[in-house]
Amino acid sequence: MTLPILSLIICIPLLAALVLASGKLKGYAQQISLGASLIQIGLLIKLALGYQTSTATFQWVEQHDWIHFSLGSLGQFVAKYHLGIDGLSFGLIILTGIISSIAIWNSDSIKEKTSSYFALIMLLNASLMGCFLAKDFLLFYLFFEFMLLPMYFLIGIWGGPRKEYASIKFFIYTLAGSLFILLALLALGTSYIDPYETALAIDFIQPGQAFSAENAQMIQTAIANGEIASDKWVHSFDAAVFADLKNCYYKSILHPDSAWVLGNLSAREWAFWLLFIGFGIKLPIVPFHTWLPDAHVEAPTPVSVLLAGVLLKIGAYGWLRFTLPFFPKEALEFSNILSGIGAISIIYGAFNALAMTDLKKLVAYSSISHMGFVLLGIASFTAEGWQGAIFQLISHGVLSSLLFLLVGVIYDRTHDRSIQNYSGLAQIMPAYTFITGLAFFASLGLPGFSGFIGEFFSLMGSFNSQHSSAIWAILGGLGIILGAGYFLWTFQKMFLGKQYLKNSEWLLSDLTRKEKLSLYFLGISSLLLGIFPSIIFNLTDNWVSHLINQLF
Amino acid sequence: MTPVIALSLFGIINLFLGFTFKRQSLQVVTLLFIICSMALTAMDWNHEYLWFGDMMKTNNLSINFSLIIQLAGLLVVAFSNGFGKDEVYTQPAEYYAILLFSLVGALLMVSFQNLIMLFVGLEILSVAMYVLTGSDKRNLRSNEAALKYFLMGSFATGFLLFGIALVYGSTRSLYISGILYNLSHTAPESLPSFLYAGIILMGIGLLFKISAAPFHFWTPDVYEGAPTIFTMFMSTVVKTAGFAAIYHILDVTFGGFQKNWIITVYFITIITLILGNISAAYQQSAKRMLAFSSISHAGYMLLTVCANQPSTSSNILYYSLAYTLATAVSFAVLMVVAEYQTGRTEKPENFDALNGLAKNNPSLAFAFTVALLSLAGIPLTAGFWGKFFVFTDMFNKNLTYPIIIAVLMSAVGIYYYFKGIISVYFNSGEIEKIETSFLFKIALWSACIGTLVLGIYPTLLKSIF
Repeated sequence: MTLPILSLIICIPLLAALVLASGKLKGYAQQISLGASLIQIGLLIKLALGYQTSTATFQWVEQHDWIHFSLGSLGQFVAKYHLGIDGLSFGLIILTGIISSIAIWNSDSIKEKTSSYFALIMLLNASLMGCFLAKDFLLFYLFFEFMLLPMYFLIGIWGGPRKEYASIKFFIYTLAGSLFILLALLALGTSYIDPYETALAIDFIQPGQAFSAENAQMIQTAIANGEIASDKWVHSFDAAVFADLKNCYYKSILHPDSAWVLGNLSAREWAFWLLFIGFGIKLPIVPFHTWLPDAHVEAPTPVSVLLAGVLLKIGAYGWLRFTLPFFPKEALEFSNILSGIGAISIIYGAFNALAMTDLKKLVAYSSISHMGFVLLGIASFTAEGWQGAIFQLISHGVLSSLLFLLVGVIYDRTHDRSIQNYSGLAQIMPAYTFITGLAFFASLGLPGFSGFIGEFFSLMGSFNSQHSSAIWAILGGLGIILGAGYFLWTFQKMFLGKQYLKNSEWLLSDLTRKEKLSLYFLGISSLLLGIFPSIIFNLTDNWVSHLINQLF
Repeated sequence: MTPVIALSLFGIINLFLGFTFKRQSLQVVTLLFIICSMALTAMDWNHEYLWFGDMMKTNNLSINFSLIIQLAGLLVVAFSNGFGKDEVYTQPAEYYAILLFSLVGALLMVSFQNLIMLFVGLEILSVAMYVLTGSDKRNLRSNEAALKYFLMGSFATGFLLFGIALVYGSTRSLYISGILYNLSHTAPESLPSFLYAGIILMGIGLLFKISAAPFHFWTPDVYEGAPTIFTMFMSTVVKTAGFAAIYHILDVTFGGFQKNWIITVYFITIITLILGNISAAYQQSAKRMLAFSSISHAGYMLLTVCANQPSTSSNILYYSLAYTLATAVSFAVLMVVAEYQTGRTEKPENFDALNGLAKNNPSLAFAFTVALLSLAGIPLTAGFWGKFFVFTDMFNKNLTYPIIIAVLMSAVGIYYYFKGIISVYFNSGEIEKIETSFLFKIALWSACIGTLVLGIYPTLLKSIF
């Protein structure tokens, strides 16, 4: 029997959380959680060694029965515990593993209730991993929504002065998004019929027997012709079932011929928008972004790192994994609007960042701006745009973590993040200045760093796209210039010029060895990805071309 | 129907035990009585029996409902702590006896086959509740609540009776089977129009009991005024029994006339959802918030009654169980905290009284949080699946607009349930370690674990229901 590695990746942090929550080993909370995430990284390395880049199918698949309930004469529902990794999720789970151990490594500033803090970080880690590993839409949804809870407590208990406001705003915003997704999920679940499970239910095949595409077609035709009684239908939440329009029952609400219309949009278009906005709130897209700056400003540094580094990525992951394959036609139909939203997010985020006096808020708005490139790339419906979007996700995961850690360094020392209160830091903190300069240049898209590759390919895709107007790509390009503006300006104000500190009693020591380790690690990763982008492109290549073939 | 007889006998025995036994042992004895009657209930599994001149029928559905109701009773008794140490004013023997009698009423309501039996069951349950609401004799609010409940409740009973009379007049039978037979053998045109008025009036009488809007005005005041332990009883047992009866009347008996009552019930459902949730968001008192939350949950359960699918009964069962476990735990925690805070703060049942509970009472805080999360419908708790199954039903029936309202309202729900979590975990306050009895802890943890287990693996019960 092979080891269920993917389940272990989810279970190890859960176990650690249980140990921590019991409160027995209070003094070693950080060590336990760090140990758990190192074990997790070890498992990820094992995955990486056995991972095949030549195929676009799921690997290391695990599947168990989980939920089964009957609807009487309307058939039954099946949801499975179904895990697997492919080119899209693999890079993201590695990112999750690394960023969470870095967040734990940098959690020294947390002094109160450490064991519950690390227990929640572990819970967050487990649910993030679950999101990226789940193949079943319902299973994904459970992880997706459960993830809000640890985040809510992390901001609400260990946050800054307005933590209650920020945490409940975060929760309500993202929960509203999840509810949109729930609506779409239920509509999909009731409208689509799983041919494989139905074949099992009518004893057409036996468990474990191969099920070919012809068999699936036979079942689909039989259902459409009414040859299979409706109480034998099996609805499932498998993402692969929803990706095939032939599984959609012709009388159901989501069928293209259904007469359901609300405000000029058909049911399928509504479902698409529900999924799009549900995931978009997480990303976040303008105008659903206002929770993000508040959450970041109040969250402690390591939580900000996890929020920006991993959590936001789930929005884009949801689009690529679920929204596009489920509703390709609708996505294409609205691709111009989507690009527009992306471009507006880029410009709006950048302009806001320009106006910010709080360093952390500036980084938060720059996140919104950089996530706009992801949407621009996805909405281009070109291979290079999608490659760029996925690359940008990982690159931004690395860079935003780096930026938030840098903000944390100065905040830990002075408890002040106002840009105008500092000047000429280069003379006091040379190492800090160096790494900040590197992070800023990498983020504004200097060639040689990862940020450039992601933005370049997303924009290229957007320019080449036949589905969205080039004006959005041009606006997105403008965003890069604005990005250079706010990063360079901030660098100049804070680090160059005459030395000035608002409070002369502030003791600004340079980076400690512990801080240097994680900061340099992230900086070098960004450089490596920038020089050898093929590390990521090798992973995503097959996946992207597979999706393109599937959609067109 | 042995449990009905058994519970009545146990109640009478309980009254006599009040003379002889110590007060503390009464709680244990009552628990044993209820467990005994649950065992008797379960023994009829997979059998269908008719009782008392065919006026009652037990089958698996009614057994499931009975078990949930008795489980709620079990939790309430376990949480009751023997009704305090006040020798002069509390009469535990009577309270336990009345609780057992009201369980009898609830059991009649879930297994009636004759409209008279429904009326008798409802009255047994209600009269017991009127008494228990006013049991805090020195408290003016408790007295007010009892009177209010009694006056409004009598009105609702009047509606129900009038409805029964009209239905009898038009179908010439009080038996469900007789009504169904006559309805199917009469042409729809020749049915007198007051049949429809009868259906609606019966519906109103029952909807009052489950506090659906616009018949909900008594709920917040009564829930707040009644001693918390009886509020817990009211919001779990009465609601489950009420829904069993509504399902039986509207979906089973008059399901064929859905087009005649559906508009009214729709309207009531939507109003219930909106009023319950929006009003709950404004409350300062946690107890009052839970009262409004019970109104809003009535709205969710009514949605599945409206959908009237083959799975409706199983959805009501699942929802009732999830709701019962979560509500019992949240009221229990609220009760012990309020007891502790009485005399220390002015309003011991407000959210503020819960401030800083997590610091010295981590297990109470955790249980409270799990309960609120389940009520809010967050995944990995039973409440999520309750809502999920209800929404699935709605989609199968293509009822898209009510779902949109229900989904929006569950987002509102997050706001007020999380107020409790904010008080417990985020706000600072001074609450020392609260000592609770052994039975209290067991009940608290089993309800909590039940909520989580049902949240992770709902198939466990879905395959039975």
